[in-house]
Amino acid sequence: MAPTAVTPEFDRERAAAERAGIDASCRGPVLYFAASAAFWLLVGSALALVASVKLHTPYFLTGIPEFTFGRARMAHLQAVSIGWTSMVTMGGCVWMMCRLCRTELIYPKLLFVSGTLWNVGTLLAVCGILLGGGQSVEWLDAPPYCPPFFIAGLGLVSAWVAATFRRRREPHVYVTQWYILAAVFWFPWLYTVAVFMIYWSPATGVVQPIVNWWFNHNFLGLWLTPVAVGTAYYLIPKIIGRPIHSYYLSITGFWALALFYSWAGMHHLIGGPIPAWLSTASTVGSVMMFIPVIAVGINHHMTMRNHFHRLKYSPALRFTVFGAIAYTWVSFQGSVESLKDFSEVAHFTHYTVAHAHLGAYGFVSMIYFGLYYYMIPRLTGREWASSRLIRVHFWCAAVGITIYFVGLSIGGWWQGRMMNNPDVPWGNIVVYLKPHFLSRTIAGVLMTVGHVAFAALLVMNLAGWGKKRTGGPTYFVEKT
Amino acid sequence: MNPATFAVLAVVIGSVVLFGTATVLALGWAFRDGQFDNLDRGAASIFGPDEPVGEPTDAFPE
Amino acid sequence: MDRGMVIFVGALLTFSSSWLGLVLFPFWQLNGEQPYRKDAADDPYPLALQGTALAGQKVYQREGCMYCHSQQVRSEKFGNWWDEHGQERTGADVKRGWGQRRTVSRDYIYDRPTMLGTMRTGPDLANVGGRYSEAWQHAHTFNPRVFNDWSVMPSFPWLYRKEKVVGERSERALKLGREWTVDPGYRWRPSAGQWDAILRDQGEAITARFLSDPAHSTAAIDPGTADGKKRLLDFWLTTEEEGVQIVPTGEGEALVAYLLALRKAEVPLPEAKE
Repeated sequence: MAPTAVTPEFDRERAAAERAGIDASCRGPVLYFAASAAFWLLVGSALALVASVKLHTPYFLTGIPEFTFGRARMAHLQAVSIGWTSMVTMGGCVWMMCRLCRTELIYPKLLFVSGTLWNVGTLLAVCGILLGGGQSVEWLDAPPYCPPFFIAGLGLVSAWVAATFRRRREPHVYVTQWYILAAVFWFPWLYTVAVFMIYWSPATGVVQPIVNWWFNHNFLGLWLTPVAVGTAYYLIPKIIGRPIHSYYLSITGFWALALFYSWAGMHHLIGGPIPAWLSTASTVGSVMMFIPVIAVGINHHMTMRNHFHRLKYSPALRFTVFGAIAYTWVSFQGSVESLKDFSEVAHFTHYTVAHAHLGAYGFVSMIYFGLYYYMIPRLTGREWASSRLIRVHFWCAAVGITIYFVGLSIGGWWQGRMMNNPDVPWGNIVVYLKPHFLSRTIAGVLMTVGHVAFAALLVMNLAGWGKKRTGGPTYFVEKT
Repeated sequence: MNPATFAVLAVVIGSVVLFGTATVLALGWAFRDGQFDNLDRGAASIFGPDEPVGEPTDAFPE
Repeated sequence: MDRGMVIFVGALLTFSSSWLGLVLFPFWQLNGEQPYRKDAADDPYPLALQGTALAGQKVYQREGCMYCHSQQVRSEKFGNWWDEHGQERTGADVKRGWGQRRTVSRDYIYDRPTMLGTMRTGPDLANVGGRYSEAWQHAHTFNPRVFNDWSVMPSFPWLYRKEKVVGERSERALKLGREWTVDPGYRWRPSAGQWDAILRDQGEAITARFLSDPAHSTAAIDPGTADGKKRLLDFWLTTEEEGVQIVPTGEGEALVAYLLALRKAEVPLPEAKE
């Protein structure tokens, strides 16, 4: 190529073409994962509503065993943890890894196999549980014939992410890539060990819940959190066009998360029949989580400083920043919650449920919604069809999770105080909780409305209803 | 101190020493290897000529 | 940082630390725990579940009972409240009668899965076998609002069968008024029109039965007045449905057998002393 031809415009065009080529290479499998995830989100929302209504109106759908509270709750958790969040995580990992390595995805068609394995596994899990195959092992309720599907599918994704990384053309390894690399390595190990010890080999007695809670907490801590935080580390700077505030802090944050998050988890068994040193070790790990959380919080905030007005213009940024703020909040809360004095009240109550949803929804899901709004148009070459629907989605989700969190946190706290006092009759506690359960249903309806708007947008975009991109390196321009 | 407590303590202290040493060695290596140089270049690596620093890349559709 | 290997080794080390500490270590420490015997002649405790109780555990498991009911009694030093004198006190689990002592790891050595639970929307069940009778458990599983109208627990009518009485009523039949059995799982009440029709058909018989009931025999009743109608209805709803009965299915029997076998916090264990 003649060096004389290189002008800034030429550079720009070439870089844009390269980026478009990379996006095109992973388009099929990433869209497949994204669409499947959105489908499971809808299924999970419906099951959540059934379970939620039953807690204040027990005669709702009485007599249908498939929709009894316990089964609907187990099926809900599988649909949203394995179906929704994990499938976005995998799709997002593949897309961001390709972009950050500046390399095309190889053999993209094989990832359809992985996505199909997950879809079949999730379908078997949800239907299996509803039909009476639930295992009552928290977060791992899927019948024992499901995990092989997940392990095989996960293995493929991890291998593809690693292969993409090996073929990277960009010499620098960006912070998002560390999080992704670590997550696709941790999660298969974590999942296989947990399933193996609980279902296929003899972990007996209380060792089972110990392994179980090690898995549950790390599912959030070493699978969803790293990828969601990594997503925010990519999206926020990209959207506002400003490098991350302190790259040094992001390094500290990564290693502190890797070290400390994996030790949290046993405080979910606080006061239970397990050795006291286990809960104590986890309390230490949880409290140390202040370090990575503060690092990430400061970093995201300082990056956004003077750019908050852009929340008005960018849907992706709005969701992502909401999620990043929720991350700081939920992590602080989690560290405090692990303290023994606090846990003595909050444990065994709906306070913990509120906390879990702030994490899995307010933080992880909101950042993933942001990822959709940024990623999908760049993959399909079409803009979102309706900004009104995006607004409906955002406000329903944001207001919904806020009502959810506030209602159940207050209810759960006083539930715990009343439970600690043996003079309070059990019926009083249940009666006290009912309005809080109702507030959860209202929140759930709101969030579900948001999800329907979201799914409609996605279907429209995939069906080609949006405005076609008119060329140029970026698809959207800021309103002036 | 009964044997079980002793075993617990031994392993806990052992792991702390083992992992602590590994961490210190790793950090030392990282500094010597220059892993902490040029942090700004790292932060800017996600931008390119097509999507340069200073240019937002997302907004509500018209 | 530009090297993948650094990230890989770092991720490996940090994660193995937690794997070692939180999984393998408790595994070594607790997995081989043996049942307790005071002396060689004593029966070992705990014993593994068998037969119907074991089958009942499967029902408990698949219906997700543990998502509202824990199975662990906590220390008498755990959880504080202030009594009417402003005195700080602890240990609600034992004081609520959920067990005679805290549960310890040995109580669970035969559990598979070990359903410790993390939520108490309903009370703890570690020792529920010592609290209620079999008949209570059946009626309560069939529809918990038979005993507590505030309860939000699901009814489990699919663990029971409604059948025609052939000859004598079965001994296993639930002794419940028709308000609970006409529409299993729900609480039934006829509409005003339905009740009028029923009264037209069987009014005299119902009145006679009302008056022959020792609790009402001295009270006058006039089915013509609104008040009389209501009192008669309230009485009639508590009488058993004629010709049909509700009996537990095999799974219903199994679940209750399991609940009655849950007695984890009674047998004294040396390590449970505080």
